[in-house]
Amino acid sequence: MPSLKDIKTQINSVGSTRKITSAMKMVAASKLRRSQEKAEAARPYSSRLEEMLASLASSAASGEGIIKLLTGTGNDQNYIVVPVSADRGLCGGFNSSINRETFKLVKSLEADGKNVQIMPLGKKSRDFFYRVMKDQITESFVDLNISNTGYDSALQVSNKLQELYFEEKFDKCILVFNKFKSAISQEVTKQQLIPLDVSNSSKEENADDSSAKAIYDYEPDEETILKDLLPKNVSIQIFKVLLESDAGEHGARMAAMDNATRNAGEMIDSLTLKYNRTRQAFITKELIEIISGAESV
Amino acid sequence: MATISFDLVSPENLVFNDEVGTIIIPGKDGDLGILPGHSKVMSSLRPGRVMVYSEDKNLIKSFFVSGGFTEINPEKCIVLAESVVEVNSLDKILIEKEIQELENKEGKEPEEQLSVAKAKLEAINVNYYDKI
Repeated sequence: MPSLKDIKTQINSVGSTRKITSAMKMVAASKLRRSQEKAEAARPYSSRLEEMLASLASSAASGEGIIKLLTGTGNDQNYIVVPVSADRGLCGGFNSSINRETFKLVKSLEADGKNVQIMPLGKKSRDFFYRVMKDQITESFVDLNISNTGYDSALQVSNKLQELYFEEKFDKCILVFNKFKSAISQEVTKQQLIPLDVSNSSKEENADDSSAKAIYDYEPDEETILKDLLPKNVSIQIFKVLLESDAGEHGARMAAMDNATRNAGEMIDSLTLKYNRTRQAFITKELIEIISGAESV
Repeated sequence: MATISFDLVSPENLVFNDEVGTIIIPGKDGDLGILPGHSKVMSSLRPGRVMVYSEDKNLIKSFFVSGGFTEINPEKCIVLAESVVEVNSLDKILIEKEIQELENKEGKEPEEQLSVAKAKLEAINVNYYDKI
Protein backbone atom coordinates (compact mmCIF):
# COMPACT_ATOMS: atom_id res chain seq x y z
CA MET A 1 0.00 0.00 0.00
CA PRO A 2 1.42 3.38 -1.00
CA SER A 3 2.21 5.78 1.79
CA LEU A 4 0.38 9.04 2.27
CA LYS A 5 3.33 10.96 0.94
CA ASP A 6 3.39 8.94 -2.30
CA ILE A 7 -0.26 9.68 -2.99
CA LYS A 8 0.21 13.34 -2.20
CA THR A 9 3.09 13.58 -4.72
CA GLN A 10 1.01 11.83 -7.34
CA ILE A 11 -1.90 14.22 -6.80
CA ASN A 12 0.42 17.16 -7.18
CA SER A 13 1.96 15.88 -10.37
CA VAL A 14 -1.40 15.12 -11.97
CA GLY A 15 -2.51 18.58 -10.87
CA SER A 16 0.34 20.27 -12.69
CA THR A 17 -0.28 18.17 -15.78
CA ARG A 18 -3.85 19.36 -15.70
CA LYS A 19 -2.68 22.95 -15.55
CA ILE A 20 -0.52 22.42 -18.61
CA THR A 21 -3.19 20.66 -20.64
CA SER A 22 -5.82 23.26 -19.83
CA ALA A 23 -3.41 26.04 -20.80
CA MET A 24 -2.64 24.24 -24.06
CA LYS A 25 -6.32 23.90 -24.71
CA MET A 26 -6.86 27.62 -24.37
CA VAL A 27 -3.88 28.43 -26.56
CA ALA A 28 -5.15 26.02 -29.20
CA ALA A 29 -8.60 27.58 -29.03
CA SER A 30 -7.31 31.06 -29.73
CA LYS A 31 -4.98 29.84 -32.46
CA LEU A 32 -7.87 27.93 -33.97
CA ARG A 33 -9.90 31.10 -34.24
CA ARG A 34 -7.07 32.90 -35.97
CA SER A 35 -6.31 30.17 -38.46
CA GLN A 36 -9.99 29.73 -39.18
CA GLU A 37 -10.17 33.42 -40.05
CA LYS A 38 -7.18 33.01 -42.33
CA ALA A 39 -8.73 30.03 -44.05
CA GLU A 40 -11.89 32.00 -44.62
CA ALA A 41 -9.98 35.01 -45.92
CA ALA A 42 -8.25 32.84 -48.49
CA ARG A 43 -11.49 31.40 -49.75
CA PRO A 44 -12.59 34.19 -52.16
CA TYR A 45 -9.32 33.98 -54.09
CA SER A 46 -9.35 30.25 -54.58
CA SER A 47 -13.00 30.10 -55.49
CA ARG A 48 -12.56 32.89 -58.07
CA LEU A 49 -9.54 31.13 -59.48
CA GLU A 50 -11.46 27.91 -59.79
CA GLU A 51 -14.26 29.72 -61.60
CA MET A 52 -11.82 31.22 -64.08
CA LEU A 53 -10.12 27.89 -64.62
CA ALA A 54 -13.37 26.09 -65.14
CA SER A 55 -14.39 28.46 -67.90
CA LEU A 56 -10.96 28.20 -69.51
CA ALA A 57 -10.39 24.49 -69.09
CA SER A 58 -12.58 23.51 -72.01
CA SER A 59 -10.35 25.43 -74.41
CA ALA A 60 -7.34 23.29 -73.63
CA ALA A 61 -7.84 19.99 -75.41
CA SER A 62 -4.28 18.84 -75.30
CA GLY A 63 -0.94 20.50 -75.25
CA GLU A 64 2.66 20.65 -74.34
CA GLY A 65 4.49 22.46 -71.57
CA ILE A 66 2.51 24.05 -68.80
CA ILE A 67 -0.83 22.88 -70.16
CA LYS A 68 0.26 19.45 -68.98
CA LEU A 69 -0.74 20.49 -65.48
CA LEU A 70 -4.28 20.27 -66.75
CA THR A 71 -4.18 17.50 -69.30
CA GLY A 72 -1.68 15.18 -67.63
CA THR A 73 1.34 13.45 -69.08
CA GLY A 74 -0.72 10.70 -70.61
CA ASN A 75 0.91 8.17 -68.33
CA ASP A 76 -0.34 6.66 -65.13
CA GLN A 77 2.73 4.99 -63.77
CA ASN A 78 4.55 7.26 -61.37
CA TYR A 79 2.79 8.72 -58.37
CA ILE A 80 3.85 11.20 -55.77
CA VAL A 81 1.93 11.25 -52.52
CA VAL A 82 2.02 14.32 -50.30
CA PRO A 83 0.85 13.75 -46.73
CA VAL A 84 0.19 17.01 -44.88
CA SER A 85 0.72 16.67 -41.13
CA ALA A 86 1.50 18.98 -38.25
CA ASP A 87 4.93 19.80 -36.92
CA ARG A 88 3.98 19.07 -33.34
CA GLY A 89 2.24 16.30 -31.53
CA LEU A 90 -0.24 16.27 -28.65
CA CYS A 91 -3.19 16.63 -30.93
CA GLY A 92 -4.93 13.29 -30.65
CA GLY A 93 -5.21 11.18 -33.76
CA PHE A 94 -4.51 14.08 -36.10
CA ASN A 95 -1.08 13.01 -37.31
CA SER A 96 -1.42 9.29 -36.98
CA SER A 97 -4.57 9.18 -39.09
CA ILE A 98 -2.77 11.05 -41.88
CA ASN A 99 0.17 8.69 -41.68
CA ARG A 100 -2.04 5.62 -41.61
CA GLU A 101 -4.12 6.72 -44.61
CA THR A 102 -1.04 7.66 -46.59
CA PHE A 103 0.59 4.36 -45.77
CA LYS A 104 -2.50 2.50 -46.94
CA LEU A 105 -2.69 4.55 -50.13
CA VAL A 106 0.97 3.94 -50.94
CA LYS A 107 0.60 0.21 -50.35
CA SER A 108 -2.50 -0.05 -52.51
CA LEU A 109 -0.86 1.91 -55.34
CA GLU A 110 2.17 -0.31 -55.12
CA ALA A 111 -0.05 -3.37 -55.24
CA ASP A 112 -1.32 -2.04 -58.58
CA GLY A 113 2.24 -1.96 -59.83
CA LYS A 114 2.79 1.82 -59.66
CA ASN A 115 5.95 3.58 -58.59
CA VAL A 116 5.23 5.74 -55.59
CA GLN A 117 7.27 8.58 -54.13
CA ILE A 118 6.47 10.42 -50.95
CA MET A 119 6.91 14.08 -50.18
CA PRO A 120 5.87 14.66 -46.57
CA LEU A 121 4.95 18.11 -45.31
CA GLY A 122 5.32 18.56 -41.57
CA LYS A 123 7.63 16.95 -39.05
CA LYS A 124 5.29 14.26 -37.85
CA SER A 125 4.78 12.60 -41.19
CA ARG A 126 8.40 13.13 -42.23
CA ASP A 127 9.60 11.28 -39.14
CA PHE A 128 7.10 8.52 -39.66
CA PHE A 129 8.00 7.89 -43.29
CA TYR A 130 11.69 8.16 -42.56
CA ARG A 131 11.20 5.16 -40.32
CA VAL A 132 9.06 3.02 -42.61
CA MET A 133 9.74 4.04 -46.21
CA LYS A 134 12.97 5.96 -46.22
CA ASP A 135 13.93 5.16 -49.81
CA GLN A 136 10.78 6.60 -51.29
CA ILE A 137 11.05 10.07 -49.84
CA THR A 138 12.07 12.53 -52.52
CA GLU A 139 11.86 15.73 -50.54
CA SER A 140 10.30 16.94 -47.35
CA PHE A 141 9.25 20.27 -45.96
CA VAL A 142 9.05 21.00 -42.26
CA ASP A 143 8.42 24.14 -40.21
CA LEU A 144 6.21 25.60 -42.90
CA ASN A 145 4.55 27.70 -40.25
CA ILE A 146 1.70 28.58 -42.52
CA SER A 147 -0.08 30.92 -40.14
CA ASN A 148 2.87 33.31 -40.10
CA THR A 149 4.64 33.05 -43.43
CA GLY A 150 1.45 32.47 -45.37
CA TYR A 151 1.53 32.20 -49.11
CA ASP A 152 5.33 32.12 -49.50
CA SER A 153 5.76 28.71 -47.94
CA ALA A 154 2.99 27.31 -50.12
CA LEU A 155 4.89 28.71 -53.07
CA GLN A 156 8.04 26.81 -52.06
CA VAL A 157 6.19 23.53 -52.04
CA SER A 158 4.41 24.20 -55.29
CA ASN A 159 7.60 25.25 -57.08
CA LYS A 160 9.32 22.06 -56.02
CA LEU A 161 6.38 19.95 -57.14
CA GLN A 162 6.23 21.62 -60.53
CA GLU A 163 9.96 21.27 -60.99
CA LEU A 164 9.67 17.54 -60.39
CA TYR A 165 6.64 17.31 -62.63
CA PHE A 166 8.31 18.93 -65.59
CA GLU A 167 11.34 16.74 -65.12
CA GLU A 168 8.81 13.95 -65.57
CA LYS A 169 9.55 12.44 -62.20
CA PHE A 170 5.87 11.71 -61.63
CA ASP A 171 2.58 11.65 -63.52
CA LYS A 172 0.10 12.15 -60.76
CA CYS A 173 0.22 13.98 -57.46
CA ILE A 174 -2.13 13.17 -54.61
CA LEU A 175 -2.47 15.23 -51.45
CA VAL A 176 -3.54 13.57 -48.21
CA PHE A 177 -4.66 16.06 -45.61
CA ASN A 178 -7.08 16.67 -42.79
CA LYS A 179 -10.06 18.60 -44.05
CA PHE A 180 -11.41 20.99 -41.48
CA LYS A 181 -15.03 20.09 -40.85
CA SER A 182 -15.63 21.71 -37.51
CA ALA A 183 -13.59 22.62 -34.46
CA ILE A 184 -13.84 19.08 -33.16
CA SER A 185 -13.86 16.98 -36.27
CA GLN A 186 -11.46 16.58 -39.17
CA GLU A 187 -11.79 14.32 -42.12
CA VAL A 188 -8.85 12.70 -43.87
CA THR A 189 -9.19 13.70 -47.51
CA LYS A 190 -7.34 12.71 -50.64
CA GLN A 191 -7.14 15.22 -53.43
CA GLN A 192 -5.56 14.86 -56.82
CA LEU A 193 -3.53 17.99 -57.41
CA ILE A 194 -1.77 17.23 -60.69
CA PRO A 195 -3.18 16.84 -63.27
CA LEU A 196 -5.94 19.16 -62.21
CA ASP A 197 -9.35 17.66 -61.73
CA VAL A 198 -11.80 20.33 -62.90
CA SER A 199 -14.80 18.12 -63.47
CA ASN A 200 -16.50 18.49 -60.10
CA SER A 201 -15.58 22.08 -59.36
CA SER A 202 -16.81 23.33 -62.72
CA LYS A 203 -20.13 21.63 -62.21
CA GLU A 204 -20.70 23.39 -58.92
CA GLU A 205 -19.66 26.77 -60.22
CA ASN A 206 -21.85 26.61 -63.28
CA ALA A 207 -24.85 25.54 -61.30
CA ASP A 208 -25.05 28.75 -59.30
CA ASP A 209 -23.59 31.07 -61.90
CA SER A 210 -24.81 30.30 -65.38
CA SER A 211 -23.42 33.59 -66.71
CA ALA A 212 -19.90 32.24 -66.21
CA LYS A 213 -20.45 30.25 -69.35
CA ALA A 214 -20.92 33.33 -71.49
CA ILE A 215 -18.26 34.32 -73.94
CA TYR A 216 -15.32 36.34 -72.74
CA ASP A 217 -12.70 38.30 -74.57
CA TYR A 218 -9.30 37.02 -73.64
CA GLU A 219 -6.30 39.23 -73.38
CA PRO A 220 -3.62 38.31 -74.53
CA ASP A 221 -5.30 34.98 -75.44
CA GLU A 222 -6.76 31.92 -73.75
CA GLU A 223 -3.62 29.87 -73.89
CA THR A 224 -1.37 32.51 -72.39
CA ILE A 225 -3.78 33.12 -69.55
CA LEU A 226 -4.12 29.42 -68.94
CA LYS A 227 -0.35 29.10 -68.81
CA ASP A 228 -0.21 31.75 -66.10
CA LEU A 229 -3.23 30.45 -64.31
CA LEU A 230 -2.35 26.77 -63.97
CA PRO A 231 0.87 27.03 -61.93
CA LYS A 232 -0.83 29.62 -59.77
CA ASN A 233 -3.69 27.28 -59.15
CA VAL A 234 -1.32 24.59 -57.89
CA SER A 235 0.15 27.04 -55.37
CA ILE A 236 -3.25 28.23 -54.28
CA GLN A 237 -4.54 24.70 -53.80
CA ILE A 238 -1.54 23.88 -51.63
CA PHE A 239 -2.00 27.11 -49.72
CA LYS A 240 -5.63 26.27 -49.09
CA VAL A 241 -4.81 22.74 -47.96
CA LEU A 242 -2.08 23.98 -45.62
CA LEU A 243 -4.45 26.49 -44.06
CA GLU A 244 -7.15 23.89 -43.58
CA SER A 245 -4.71 21.46 -42.08
CA ASP A 246 -3.44 24.18 -39.74
CA ALA A 247 -6.95 24.96 -38.56
CA GLY A 248 -7.61 21.24 -38.19
CA GLU A 249 -4.48 20.77 -36.13
CA HIS A 250 -5.52 23.42 -33.63
CA GLY A 251 -9.02 22.00 -33.50
CA ALA A 252 -7.69 18.50 -32.87
CA ARG A 253 -5.31 19.75 -30.22
CA MET A 254 -8.07 21.63 -28.50
CA ALA A 255 -10.25 18.53 -28.34
CA ALA A 256 -7.38 16.31 -27.21
CA MET A 257 -6.35 18.73 -24.48
CA ASP A 258 -9.92 19.13 -23.33
CA ASN A 259 -10.12 15.37 -22.89
CA ALA A 260 -6.79 15.26 -21.10
CA THR A 261 -7.86 17.99 -18.72
CA ARG A 262 -11.04 16.14 -17.90
CA ASN A 263 -9.21 12.85 -17.38
CA ALA A 264 -6.72 14.54 -15.10
CA GLY A 265 -9.60 15.95 -13.06
CA GLU A 266 -11.13 12.49 -12.65
CA MET A 267 -7.77 11.07 -11.67
CA ILE A 268 -7.28 13.72 -9.03
CA ASP A 269 -10.74 12.98 -7.59
CA SER A 270 -10.03 9.27 -7.28
CA LEU A 271 -6.57 9.89 -5.87
CA THR A 272 -7.96 12.29 -3.28
CA LEU A 273 -10.48 9.68 -2.22
CA LYS A 274 -7.71 7.15 -1.88
CA TYR A 275 -5.64 9.64 0.09
CA ASN A 276 -8.43 10.33 2.56
CA ARG A 277 -9.20 6.63 3.04
CA THR A 278 -5.56 5.83 3.68
CA ARG A 279 -5.30 8.66 6.16
CA GLN A 280 -8.44 7.53 7.96
CA ALA A 281 -7.15 3.96 8.10
CA PHE A 282 -3.92 5.21 9.52
CA ILE A 283 -5.64 7.22 12.26
CA THR A 284 -7.86 4.30 13.17
CA LYS A 285 -4.86 2.02 13.41
CA GLU A 286 -3.05 4.46 15.71
CA LEU A 287 -6.14 4.82 17.91
CA ILE A 288 -6.45 1.06 18.25
CA GLU A 289 -2.81 0.84 19.23
CA ILE A 290 -3.19 3.55 21.86
CA ILE A 291 -6.39 2.10 23.33
CA SER A 292 -5.06 -1.46 23.45
CA GLY A 293 -1.88 -0.13 25.03
CA ALA A 294 -3.87 1.74 27.69
CA GLU A 295 -6.00 -1.32 28.46
CA SER A 296 -3.02 -3.56 29.06
CA VAL A 297 -1.54 -1.26 31.67
CA MET B 1 -24.04 57.72 -63.28
CA ALA B 2 -23.81 54.01 -62.71
CA THR B 3 -21.33 52.13 -60.59
CA ILE B 4 -19.48 48.88 -61.01
CA SER B 5 -18.67 46.45 -58.22
CA PHE B 6 -14.97 45.95 -57.73
CA ASP B 7 -13.17 43.16 -55.82
CA LEU B 8 -9.44 43.16 -55.27
CA VAL B 9 -8.41 39.78 -53.87
CA SER B 10 -5.00 38.55 -52.74
CA PRO B 11 -4.33 34.95 -51.69
CA GLU B 12 -4.38 36.01 -48.07
CA ASN B 13 -7.45 38.20 -47.97
CA LEU B 14 -10.05 40.35 -49.68
CA VAL B 15 -8.30 43.72 -49.99
CA PHE B 16 -10.99 45.90 -51.51
CA ASN B 17 -14.67 45.39 -52.15
CA ASP B 18 -16.99 48.24 -53.03
CA GLU B 19 -19.07 49.92 -55.69
CA VAL B 20 -16.88 52.31 -57.66
CA GLY B 21 -17.02 54.55 -60.73
CA THR B 22 -13.91 53.67 -62.69
CA ILE B 23 -10.95 51.31 -62.33
CA ILE B 24 -7.68 51.34 -64.22
CA ILE B 25 -5.91 47.97 -64.40
CA PRO B 26 -2.45 47.16 -65.75
CA GLY B 27 -3.32 44.48 -68.31
CA LYS B 28 -0.59 42.41 -69.90
CA ASP B 29 -0.99 44.15 -73.26
CA GLY B 30 -1.70 47.61 -71.88
CA ASP B 31 -3.77 49.43 -69.31
CA LEU B 32 -7.47 48.75 -69.15
CA GLY B 33 -9.94 51.42 -68.10
CA ILE B 34 -13.03 49.78 -66.66
CA LEU B 35 -16.34 51.63 -66.56
CA PRO B 36 -19.75 50.23 -65.64
CA GLY B 37 -21.12 48.14 -68.50
CA HIS B 38 -17.72 47.04 -69.75
CA SER B 39 -17.75 44.04 -72.07
CA LYS B 40 -16.66 40.66 -70.79
CA VAL B 41 -12.90 40.38 -70.63
CA MET B 42 -10.47 38.04 -68.97
CA SER B 43 -6.89 39.18 -68.84
CA SER B 44 -3.65 38.54 -67.06
CA LEU B 45 -1.82 41.44 -65.45
CA ARG B 46 1.64 42.87 -65.47
CA PRO B 47 3.19 44.46 -62.36
CA GLY B 48 1.76 47.94 -61.97
CA ARG B 49 -0.86 50.17 -60.44
CA VAL B 50 -4.51 49.35 -59.93
CA MET B 51 -6.30 52.67 -59.57
CA VAL B 52 -9.78 53.00 -58.13
CA TYR B 53 -11.95 56.08 -58.76
CA SER B 54 -15.26 57.22 -57.36
CA GLU B 55 -18.26 58.03 -59.55
CA ASP B 56 -17.17 61.66 -59.91
CA LYS B 57 -13.71 60.62 -61.08
CA ASN B 58 -11.84 61.27 -57.85
CA LEU B 59 -9.04 58.87 -57.07
CA ILE B 60 -10.05 56.76 -54.06
CA LYS B 61 -7.12 54.41 -53.76
CA SER B 62 -4.22 53.14 -55.76
CA PHE B 63 -2.65 49.74 -55.20
CA PHE B 64 0.48 48.13 -56.50
CA VAL B 65 0.06 44.55 -57.73
CA SER B 66 2.89 42.28 -58.76
CA GLY B 67 0.82 40.42 -61.32
CA GLY B 68 -2.32 38.32 -61.44
CA PHE B 69 -5.57 38.10 -63.34
CA THR B 70 -8.72 40.03 -63.87
CA GLU B 71 -12.20 39.05 -64.84
CA ILE B 72 -14.53 41.77 -66.03
CA ASN B 73 -18.20 41.68 -66.83
CA PRO B 74 -20.73 44.53 -67.15
CA GLU B 75 -21.64 44.54 -63.45
CA LYS B 76 -18.51 43.37 -61.76
CA CYS B 77 -14.74 43.50 -61.95
CA ILE B 78 -12.55 41.07 -60.04
CA VAL B 79 -8.80 41.35 -59.74
CA LEU B 80 -6.86 38.36 -58.41
CA ALA B 81 -3.43 39.65 -57.48
CA GLU B 82 -0.46 37.87 -56.04
CA SER B 83 0.71 40.58 -53.73
CA VAL B 84 -1.11 43.80 -53.08
CA VAL B 85 0.30 46.91 -51.40
CA GLU B 86 -1.08 50.40 -51.28
CA VAL B 87 1.13 52.67 -53.34
CA ASN B 88 1.26 55.19 -50.47
CA SER B 89 2.83 52.64 -48.17
CA LEU B 90 5.69 51.76 -50.51
CA ASP B 91 9.08 52.96 -49.31
CA LYS B 92 11.16 54.46 -52.08
CA ILE B 93 14.53 54.09 -50.33
CA LEU B 94 13.93 50.44 -49.47
CA ILE B 95 12.97 49.61 -53.04
CA GLU B 96 16.01 51.38 -54.48
CA LYS B 97 18.17 49.33 -52.16
CA GLU B 98 16.38 46.15 -53.24
CA ILE B 99 16.97 46.99 -56.90
CA GLN B 100 20.66 47.52 -56.28
CA GLU B 101 20.96 44.18 -54.53
CA LEU B 102 19.03 42.35 -57.22
CA GLU B 103 21.05 43.87 -60.03
CA ASN B 104 24.12 42.11 -58.71
CA LYS B 105 22.48 38.72 -58.76
CA GLU B 106 22.00 36.51 -61.74
CA GLY B 107 19.44 33.91 -62.67
CA LYS B 108 15.81 33.80 -63.49
CA GLU B 109 14.31 34.49 -60.11
CA PRO B 110 16.21 37.68 -59.25
CA GLU B 111 15.42 38.91 -62.74
CA GLU B 112 11.71 38.52 -62.14
CA GLN B 113 11.99 40.16 -58.74
CA LEU B 114 13.93 42.98 -60.31
CA SER B 115 11.25 43.72 -62.85
CA VAL B 116 8.66 43.77 -60.04
CA ALA B 117 10.84 46.09 -57.96
CA LYS B 118 11.37 48.41 -60.92
CA ALA B 119 7.66 48.50 -61.53
CA LYS B 120 7.19 49.40 -57.87
CA LEU B 121 9.56 52.32 -58.19
CA GLU B 122 7.77 53.47 -61.29
CA ALA B 123 4.45 53.22 -59.49
CA ILE B 124 5.70 55.66 -56.85
CA ASN B 125 7.26 58.08 -59.27
CA VAL B 126 4.64 58.45 -61.95
CA ASN B 127 1.50 60.47 -61.47
CA TYR B 128 -0.42 60.05 -64.69
CA TYR B 129 -3.92 58.74 -64.08
CA ASP B 130 -4.00 60.66 -60.80
CA LYS B 131 -6.61 62.86 -62.42
CA ILE B 132 -8.86 61.51 -65.13
